[in-house]
Amino acid sequence: MDEKKDIYFKIYRYNPEVDQKPFYDDFKISVERGVTILRAINYIKDHVDSSLSYRFYCQAGICGSCAMRVNGVSKLACTTQVWDELENCKEKDMITIEPLNNFEIIRDMIVDYKPVINKLEKYISWVTPKIKQADLGKKENIISEAEFKVIDAATDCILCAACFSECSMMSANKEYISPLALLKAFRMVKDSRDTRSDERMAVLNQDHGMWDCTHCYRCVEACVKNIPIMDAIQGVRNEAFIRKQNGTEGYKHANAFAQDIRKTGRLKEATIAIRTKGIFGAAGMLPFAIRMTLRGRMPSMFVKTIPGIKHVRNIFRKIK
Amino acid sequence: MKYAYYLSCINESLSKEAEYSLNIWTKDLGIELVPLEEGTCCGGSNLDFVNPDQFLAINGRNIALAEKLGLDMITSCNTCLLGLRHAKHILDTQPEKKEMINAVLKEEGLEYTGKSEVKHLLWVLVDDYGLDKLAAKVTNPLTDLKFAPFYGCHILRPSPLMGGYDNPNNPHTLEDLIRALGGNVVEYNSKNKCCGFHTLIVAEQESVKLSGDAVVDAIDAKADYIVTPCPLCHMSLDAYQKDGLSTKNRQGKMPIIHLPQIVGMALGYTEKQLGIDKHVVV
Repeated sequence: MDEKKDIYFKIYRYNPEVDQKPFYDDFKISVERGVTILRAINYIKDHVDSSLSYRFYCQAGICGSCAMRVNGVSKLACTTQVWDELENCKEKDMITIEPLNNFEIIRDMIVDYKPVINKLEKYISWVTPKIKQADLGKKENIISEAEFKVIDAATDCILCAACFSECSMMSANKEYISPLALLKAFRMVKDSRDTRSDERMAVLNQDHGMWDCTHCYRCVEACVKNIPIMDAIQGVRNEAFIRKQNGTEGYKHANAFAQDIRKTGRLKEATIAIRTKGIFGAAGMLPFAIRMTLRGRMPSMFVKTIPGIKHVRNIFRKIK
Repeated sequence: MKYAYYLSCINESLSKEAEYSLNIWTKDLGIELVPLEEGTCCGGSNLDFVNPDQFLAINGRNIALAEKLGLDMITSCNTCLLGLRHAKHILDTQPEKKEMINAVLKEEGLEYTGKSEVKHLLWVLVDDYGLDKLAAKVTNPLTDLKFAPFYGCHILRPSPLMGGYDNPNNPHTLEDLIRALGGNVVEYNSKNKCCGFHTLIVAEQESVKLSGDAVVDAIDAKADYIVTPCPLCHMSLDAYQKDGLSTKNRQGKMPIIHLPQIVGMALGYTEKQLGIDKHVVV
């Protein structure tokens, strides 16, 4: 078996202080099976071009600092095998290395991480325990095993920001909370030791918060720790339902689905915008309604009730 | 080949053309679809957080209706696929949840056992029917046309729920199908990206930016059509196309077609028969 081969690395280069725009440098190095992307680019930095810039520290998938895009997908350089990536190359044996998406570039693969810090601050991403400041370190602040199980997976997050980079909504609006901050929010909201969840939920319910996730699951797919991030996002939204925080468009929109299923079994598409945004809020959707009407596609106000609806209503009665 | 056919809300209302373009050619391939008239909305990727247990029971019931017929279930909507497969995964791996929903389903003479598979129409055509067999049925090869495949999120992700049909970072089944129909595939960056549909009402500006990205990408790749296996993606890309393009300060037109329509085109049906003239961008 061929255990060593020449591999090309097409690496993103950009120093905003000097370069007019980003460009790519190609490097050809001989790589053995078993070498990680991080070791390969360390070789390039040590032996070919010392100006190549990127972050790394633990080299063991723990610190999260070497997240970058490898063949277009955000992942940790230190836990990604070069030979595994050969299957994902667009051009044979040419691996593309780029910085994370959705960040400003400081240099090459080094991105400005400040927006992550700002979001963690905005959404109160830490536990404020019940015990007094003076007693911290003296008294235990216990969480039960069952309580911890709920947040166990979420506590695995190493803040590498691969999810932040892959997030569709982040690419559309940098004000969006981000999957990373939503995951942390879930972890804090569900932590029985915390005391600031009312405050945190109020911020989460604001614009660009928990209701703006578009369910694309790119964060879940990218997570280097296999954390089911979408479960956490839905968990925060579920918390809004548990607390009956029913004032947001996101709440009303989701609630309309439950109401319709209970009533007829089917979604009443014709009125869902009005039920979400109110009559005045939905006025902005008039051009859409006109386009659909012109094509004879505006749905009926009357939705046929499914046969057997009594059984569906029974489910809603029996399962709370 | 016989399947229980899950009726998606959008195909019953806003996108009827997707439904009747499917029903027009299934008999040509010898595929029989038994519509599940008693099935409900899957919850649209919302009921799972409104009430997780009700979400399980509703979709467990939907699948149990197919099980009662002794058939596998197919859907032609990505988000319905996700909802049904998500519920199925939980019910198949957490016996206490299955017991909980079966206690209620019993009153209707139903039982969820997990024996019926839930598949997307695309997977059925590619895997169960087979592309060689499909290619042999083509009467109007789409040789002169270039298609940009747009998969939509909920047929790719989360990948552990999607049966291994595609690598979400580099899918190919839709391209394989386009080629089997004689069509040409254009390479572009948006094929596995998000259309923004699920936030079209609560965050419209962001959503149309996402659909605009895909449309511009397909225009620049000189595609004749975007083809999608998801009616929700179709809605974002077609009905909101003008809004999407305006976020990019771009003009142009990119017709979007449903998966059943591209199959119908290759089987010799006209655009009118397939309802392509019902789209906003024609």
